[in-house]
Amino acid sequence: MSSPLKPLEGNWWGLPANRHEKAWVRISVVWGLILFGWMVGWSFFGNQNQHGPTYRIEPAAYRAKLAAYREASTVTERGLRPAGEDVYIAAMRYGFDGLPVILKAGKTYRLHLTSYDVQHGFSIRPEHALSKQISLQLLPGYEWVIPMRFDEPGVYHVICNEFCGIGHRTMHGIFIVEE
Amino acid sequence: MAGLLLSGTYDAEGFRTCSVTGLRIHRDVERYVKLFALTAVVALLIGGISAIFVALTRWEVIGLADPPAFYKWLSIHAWNLLIFWMVFMEVAILYIGGPLVLGRPLPAPKLAGVGYAVMLGAALMINHAIATTEAPDNAPLLTSYAPLPSPPLFYLGVVLFILGVIIAALPFFITIWREKQEHPNRSLPLVSFGAFITSIIALEALLGGLITYIPTFLWRIGVVEHIDAGWYRQMYWIIGHGSQQINLAAMITVWYFLTHVVGGAEVVSEKLSRTAFVLYLFFINMGAAHHLLADPGVHMSWKHWNTSYAVYGAVLASMIHAFAIPAGLEAGRRKRGLGGQGLFGWLWSAPWSNPVFSATALGIIMFGFIGGISGVVMGQTQLNLTWHNTLGVPGHFHGTVVLGTTLTFMALVYFALPVLFNRDLVFKPLARIQPYFYAVAMGLATIMLLYLGVLYGVPRRHPSVMSFPGTDFNFAAASPLFAIFGVAAILAIIAGASFLLVAVGSLLFGKRVENPALVMPPLISGGSDDRPIHEYSMQGTFTLTLIFLAVFAIVYAVNWYLLGRLWAIG
Repeated sequence: MSSPLKPLEGNWWGLPANRHEKAWVRISVVWGLILFGWMVGWSFFGNQNQHGPTYRIEPAAYRAKLAAYREASTVTERGLRPAGEDVYIAAMRYGFDGLPVILKAGKTYRLHLTSYDVQHGFSIRPEHALSKQISLQLLPGYEWVIPMRFDEPGVYHVICNEFCGIGHRTMHGIFIVEE
Repeated sequence: MAGLLLSGTYDAEGFRTCSVTGLRIHRDVERYVKLFALTAVVALLIGGISAIFVALTRWEVIGLADPPAFYKWLSIHAWNLLIFWMVFMEVAILYIGGPLVLGRPLPAPKLAGVGYAVMLGAALMINHAIATTEAPDNAPLLTSYAPLPSPPLFYLGVVLFILGVIIAALPFFITIWREKQEHPNRSLPLVSFGAFITSIIALEALLGGLITYIPTFLWRIGVVEHIDAGWYRQMYWIIGHGSQQINLAAMITVWYFLTHVVGGAEVVSEKLSRTAFVLYLFFINMGAAHHLLADPGVHMSWKHWNTSYAVYGAVLASMIHAFAIPAGLEAGRRKRGLGGQGLFGWLWSAPWSNPVFSATALGIIMFGFIGGISGVVMGQTQLNLTWHNTLGVPGHFHGTVVLGTTLTFMALVYFALPVLFNRDLVFKPLARIQPYFYAVAMGLATIMLLYLGVLYGVPRRHPSVMSFPGTDFNFAAASPLFAIFGVAAILAIIAGASFLLVAVGSLLFGKRVENPALVMPPLISGGSDDRPIHEYSMQGTFTLTLIFLAVFAIVYAVNWYLLGRLWAIG
């Protein structure tokens, strides 16, 4: 009788396990190593890694940075055309400062992301394929610089997917990626 | 009410012997197990009512609540189901795993009473704060992410609730202390050991909760000027995810308990099952880091190390339980000569018409295939990009805490009705089908949440995605899946209501049963041969776990394929 309701006496640690159970434990260890190895490996050989430095910054200082960036960019009817590789975007209740923006396909940009007030989400997908989407968390006081390169031209929609108040559902912005 | 709590006859020392489990149960233990479990069921009712408003708002064809009401209902839903239903039940499970299984009296019963009163008062306070939220405060949802302010009373309620749980857990700790003092050379029964591990994980989570909510409360009332969003997230998730790990460990403890009592399962390897619990103790708390995978401020290597639970220590633990529990059933039933023929005879012949067994077994299967696999997949650092804050996340935790833990706790209530409350079940045909009805409807709703999140990128915590003001953009392409979700959610709510109908109906109108063993035939004894349990065949379980691994590998590969199609990031 090996009941889970009875106290154990004697050397129960020394009792052998069934061979199938031992085999399953070995399989599980190998599977765990595969999961870990693939994830770490993707950091080196994969193209999608949310990797980039974070800086502490006050919202007011970021606003000044974004204003300077806007000065340097070309303002068009459809949105900002950044002068260099840096793109500044800030989420706030209830919109995205710095959007819309026009990017060149195939060029790598450094996205500088933050929030002016509360926590927000930065959820992006191209208009033509909802399944191609990612989300990042934006925090006030933190500027996250993440490189991104969009190869497929088109309109990319950005929504907030972190609850930020009653108007949360209205937050929307776009990127335009051109040939 | 008092009659419900004190239904048996006890000897001079206050004990009675349970005819189903053979355990000696003390009056105080029984009374508090019932009190906490009944309160949990009330929370389930409130949470179930709020589910109507949440699900039928998200199914925008109905669009039941406007945004402010939606966020309040969503907060009520989260706190009553994810916290109150679970935690009141878990205190009951601590008392079961501690004094009830060990055959001891409840030490310091006054502490249990004080803990209960504080928990109840705090739960009412939290519900009141949510219901009366007004600008500039926002409904807290589960996470109350600072610096978005929630009502001050809410934070205070949470601090009190945490203190109440700690007080209520003290009699359990005293029990374990006394047991070890009196019997230093005897190991705890596995169920007590699981409860003990649960309690340590719980204490870690609760202390994390105090570290989070006391400063946040002080910030909200203006004593502290600034609160850092990154600090809050890191601290909050100690309890935010820690509390879910309590659910996990408590649920697995109940699996070992119920499969044994009603299914005839045995522990096939004490060494491996206990090692698995110890692995949880050391590694599972790191897993909370997976909530920060899409966050700034923490490095990729920090994310890799912590979410991998230090090379999947906690995943390994779950994989061990995933084998050990069905294997216990297989070997135990083969030993007792119950359907021992063929690969799966032990499984087909199991008491599937007993809701205690079926709810437990369905909980194990659904937790593993839906909650477990989705959790590991979304916990991979890069894959999390495609899951973060989509409906896939609620999909995952409806797979764990609803299909897994809620079904399991329902099984425990079905068990307690005859065994502790001495009531026969009413509406027996309904009780027989309820676990299946709930598992299928909720399973379908959950799978739709997963699809909506991962394949369509539909955000969670969003009352309307079929239109965004000022743009043509919308998620209308996902509306067929929302229709399936909506119908499945309504059916799941009806199935949940069926459970409440049977549970409350049995308490109020159930026939009194003096000998619960007659209505809940135990399978504890039998199979008296001396062959050690590990020598019985576990081939059926091995086959099942290989199927599980194949599904796991397929889901894993599909997710990486989806991620690999995206633009270059980082």
